[in-house]
Amino acid sequence: MKIAELKPGGQPQQGRLVRFSLYFVIGLILIVLPIFLPMYLQGLMTKILVFAIFAMSLDLIWGYTGLSSMGHAAFFGVAGYTTAILIRHYGVVTFLETAPLSILMATLFAAVFGIISLRVSGLYFLMVTLALGQALFSIAWQWYHITGGAFGLTIPPLNLGIPGFTSTAISIYYFVFIFFIICYFLLRRIVNSPFGHVLQGIRENEPRMRALGYNTWLYKYIAFIIAGFFAGISGILFVHWNMLISPYQLGMIQSTYAALCVILGGPGTLVGPVIGAAVVIGLEYGASLYNPERWPLFLGIIFVISVMFLRGGVYPRLNNLWKKVGEKYSYGSTKG
Amino acid sequence: MDLVVLSLLNGVSFGMVLFLLTIGLSITLGLMGIINLSHGALFMVAGFAGWMLVVQLGYSYWLALLVGAIIAGLIGLAIEQGFLSRLYGLTNDQVLLTIGFIYILMNLSLWIWGGRARMPYHDPLLAGTFSIAGWQYPVYRIFIIGAGLILILAIWWLLERTRIGAIIRAGMDDIETAKALGKNMGRINYLVFFLGSFLAGLAGVIGAQMMGPRIGMGWDILLLALIVLVVGGMGSIQGALIGAMVIGLVDSFGRALLPDLAMFFMYIVMIIVLMVKPSGILPRESGG
Amino acid sequence: MEALRVEGLTKEFGGIRALNNISFTVKNGERLAIIGPNGAGKTTLFNLLNGQYKATAGRIYFLGREITDMPTRSRTYLGQGRSFQVTSLFSNLTVLCNVLLAIQGTGPPRFQLFRSISAYKHLYTKAQELLEAVALWSKRNELAQSLSYGEQRRLEITLSLALEPKLLLLDEPSTGLTPAESSDIVNMIANLVRDITVIVVAHDMDLVFGMAERIMVLHYGEIIADGTPAEIQTHSRVKEIYMGIEEDTRSAGAI
Repeated sequence: MKIAELKPGGQPQQGRLVRFSLYFVIGLILIVLPIFLPMYLQGLMTKILVFAIFAMSLDLIWGYTGLSSMGHAAFFGVAGYTTAILIRHYGVVTFLETAPLSILMATLFAAVFGIISLRVSGLYFLMVTLALGQALFSIAWQWYHITGGAFGLTIPPLNLGIPGFTSTAISIYYFVFIFFIICYFLLRRIVNSPFGHVLQGIRENEPRMRALGYNTWLYKYIAFIIAGFFAGISGILFVHWNMLISPYQLGMIQSTYAALCVILGGPGTLVGPVIGAAVVIGLEYGASLYNPERWPLFLGIIFVISVMFLRGGVYPRLNNLWKKVGEKYSYGSTKG
Repeated sequence: MDLVVLSLLNGVSFGMVLFLLTIGLSITLGLMGIINLSHGALFMVAGFAGWMLVVQLGYSYWLALLVGAIIAGLIGLAIEQGFLSRLYGLTNDQVLLTIGFIYILMNLSLWIWGGRARMPYHDPLLAGTFSIAGWQYPVYRIFIIGAGLILILAIWWLLERTRIGAIIRAGMDDIETAKALGKNMGRINYLVFFLGSFLAGLAGVIGAQMMGPRIGMGWDILLLALIVLVVGGMGSIQGALIGAMVIGLVDSFGRALLPDLAMFFMYIVMIIVLMVKPSGILPRESGG
Repeated sequence: MEALRVEGLTKEFGGIRALNNISFTVKNGERLAIIGPNGAGKTTLFNLLNGQYKATAGRIYFLGREITDMPTRSRTYLGQGRSFQVTSLFSNLTVLCNVLLAIQGTGPPRFQLFRSISAYKHLYTKAQELLEAVALWSKRNELAQSLSYGEQRRLEITLSLALEPKLLLLDEPSTGLTPAESSDIVNMIANLVRDITVIVVAHDMDLVFGMAERIMVLHYGEIIADGTPAEIQTHSRVKEIYMGIEEDTRSAGAI
């Protein structure tokens, strides 16, 4: 029996070839394009990839498991701060030394926050995650001696500990790009796995899942930790790209930013949040050129438009369009 | 001993402001299943509007109280009628939508009033101090407590003694009915939503006596409101009241004892409540 | 061996007693139907047996073990499988995904993080078996929410069967179905292996008399009759209650 490969949400995969060629084209653009761009735009593309990872990590719990967390930046920021603190206060200099501990801290915080937040669900859960993230914001703001308070901490350019590597806009880009590819494929495997399907089942109908024998709390908890892990990765990449971390990377503002990327792009698709990140950051860049002071206003309007008119996100719409094009030009029948 | 009395008064007065802010959130949530996170922003807008009237234009504080509250009420109503009403039952969407409005309201306020924090303001009538326990206690704080008590009584009267109140209470007792009623109750919807936002605005101008209006309040006050709801329990008035008082007192005693760590006490209380009784101290009763 | 033993089971909601001091046992392999007027407590009983509700008083024993305080998933693990009166599916997932989740529930692959689910062929084979048995295999890639009501009910029951339960609890399995679809359900139950115990809550008398060896009648939270179909049909109190209902509906119709 031939098994149709399942995409998340269970839609059958039609035209594997189409999909791989899409990956190829996009991959090519991502790899080759930056070489021809000015430094600032290279930095922008790096930012997009960093936040794409962050948004994908949120999608794992938001889009796939149905956990609306508004405190996800906590893990993003913790990883970034750990790296910065290690470099500034402990003289630990190379990436290979700072990265593991930073990811560990992010994952640990996720483990602790998960236990607290998952005592409740739905709106309560949202409020609690928001409060916990803000608690970290307050700590970072207050704890001037360690965290630099409101000013944050700056770090020197990325030191890989590899001779011959210098940190430039383009080398940072490729550095982040490699991580992006790895994270994307890891997350893709997770959501396609039996575990990933359980998460979706929990999102769709948690009581039913319990009746089917699943320990739904445990699944949610594990997903929460994994999401924290990947958020930590993006946090480390962020601080190396930005060379500065501040309390704002811990709190509501950063968390809601990620949530927007997810819902604008399309929750539960993994690709959607990547597109969402690109759109939001692109728009932010546009606003910075014309009217930077009004950016929060536009951001708010984007929220409103996304919720009222773009339910389900941009990616599913693009996908449908693509399918229609595919059907028009396909040679054989693809109906199951 | 004096410190205890002072902290008590501070805590209760702060708690009153928090209560007025969160009561609207709690009722609309319990009655219509609608969450409007921009309440904090409404609080802020009213505070600024009041500032403009009182400090810049020299009008009476009492007028500012009314105007600020009405502005907040109207904005809240507009958000509900124009947007939230189309999102019944979609909690996530409501959250994201109203977060969008926080950004919008905050940035518009920034545009109108600029980014400087303002000094607290109050009516000259309420200036001066009162002698309590050998200390001089600001009159306006007493006013806040008094106003709070009057409003609590007014709300109680509305809910227990009027027909509208009975309908609201019935709607809040039964989640299913509330959702169904939410769609059919037209004018009650209007009233409840306006009232909730109105009270948030009132809280904003009343609170402006303690905390000068500041753009960042849109987020900060919201955070306080959410902690109040988690601690006190959502969807009920008693919950909002007890949560507000607990947080108000924790904050004021915290500041008296360990000023640097004061704000963390609130988070610790929230975490304790979550681990011990996740639904909050006095949540709305549910069946089953 | 008893499949199920219930002692003094009581459930109160606020001031209302939905179930009052119920006691009964069910033998292995028995085919039991529970009937009674609306509000008699039938679904409440199921919710207590399966763990959605906590009992106010009383005990429940399943296959000899006390399960009174056990969470639902543990009961499923021990061998209970339940279908719901209000169809409870995974709407935005495909039919195939729905069934896979049910099959996967009690086996090792469910914690697998990295292999694609399509690598687990045995899950798919089983899914095909189950779906072909209810003629839904051809719709396996459609979203559950796009099925017709009857098809959704069939999927609903399939999910509980996928668990290979020792005790099958079917809550109103044929309500809302056409007579043809109903008799399919009756046949399906009849074809079940004999070591599965089946308890059905139903209003549909064709279904009840089609599958039941024993009928229990609930009224206002109490068991008022318990016996073979023949005994129940001639039971005076039962006839009273059902006649009363008929009379009410007849006189209401007259007005």
